[in-house]
Amino acid sequence: MAEEKFFNRVRENQFYKKWFKSAFTYVTGAVLLSVLQVATLASTGNPWGVSGVFANWGAWIYEAFGGSVDKWYYFSSEGAQRVLDAGIMNHPGSWRNIGIIFGALFATLMASQFKIKKIKNKKQVVAAILGGLLMGYGARIAYGCNIGALYSGITSLSLSGWVFAVGMFGGAVVGSKLLVKYFM
Amino acid sequence: MAKEVVIDSLGEACPVPLVKAQNAIKEMEVGDVLILQIDHSCAMKNVPEWARKDGHNVEVEEVDDGEWEVIIEKC
Repeated sequence: MAEEKFFNRVRENQFYKKWFKSAFTYVTGAVLLSVLQVATLASTGNPWGVSGVFANWGAWIYEAFGGSVDKWYYFSSEGAQRVLDAGIMNHPGSWRNIGIIFGALFATLMASQFKIKKIKNKKQVVAAILGGLLMGYGARIAYGCNIGALYSGITSLSLSGWVFAVGMFGGAVVGSKLLVKYFM
Repeated sequence: MAKEVVIDSLGEACPVPLVKAQNAIKEMEVGDVLILQIDHSCAMKNVPEWARKDGHNVEVEEVDDGEWEVIIEKC
């Protein structure tokens, strides 16, 4: 069939292989991230962040069910209230995170590596939920995750980014030991 | 006779496949072959990287969409 022939040819095409099939090198990724985070800072006035957006999503969902976060310490600043009042459509971080999700989907589809992965055991479920809760909670009380606090901190020449790096490295060492001990 | 060990690491995220491969290779004899089944694309990078550095023969085969077999011959 002509269609099949076409896709077989695409599969062998050197540009397809280079741009869509094989992973970029770490250097290519680093350069792209750097350029794009500068664009983010220039166009939105805020450094790149990921996890803070989820707190806003949570607040919007809570408000959609009639709740109010006006009195919550985390959202008590004027700036935070203004962002919440403006809504998700006017929130650059939300669009960016949605872009990350669909961009990742696009990349995996283009490489024909899309797969719905099975859950292997109960341990995996417990670890995923526990890990997610701890990461989310930790990122909020630290006012940032490995992007907002670490990456954007260091690229803004802020000492706080380096302090975060030391803490995260220590945490990763302990986490890896726990992983090998309880998860292998 | 060389042994063949198959590890099903499908559905497991990094670094679980890598640590499983490292543990398995430790128990194997020179010439034995380890077939590691993975569906986490970063394991396709870090497992061969480690194995080659450790001096083994490595081959990666794409067996299905988003599914690979890393074949490691202990050297």
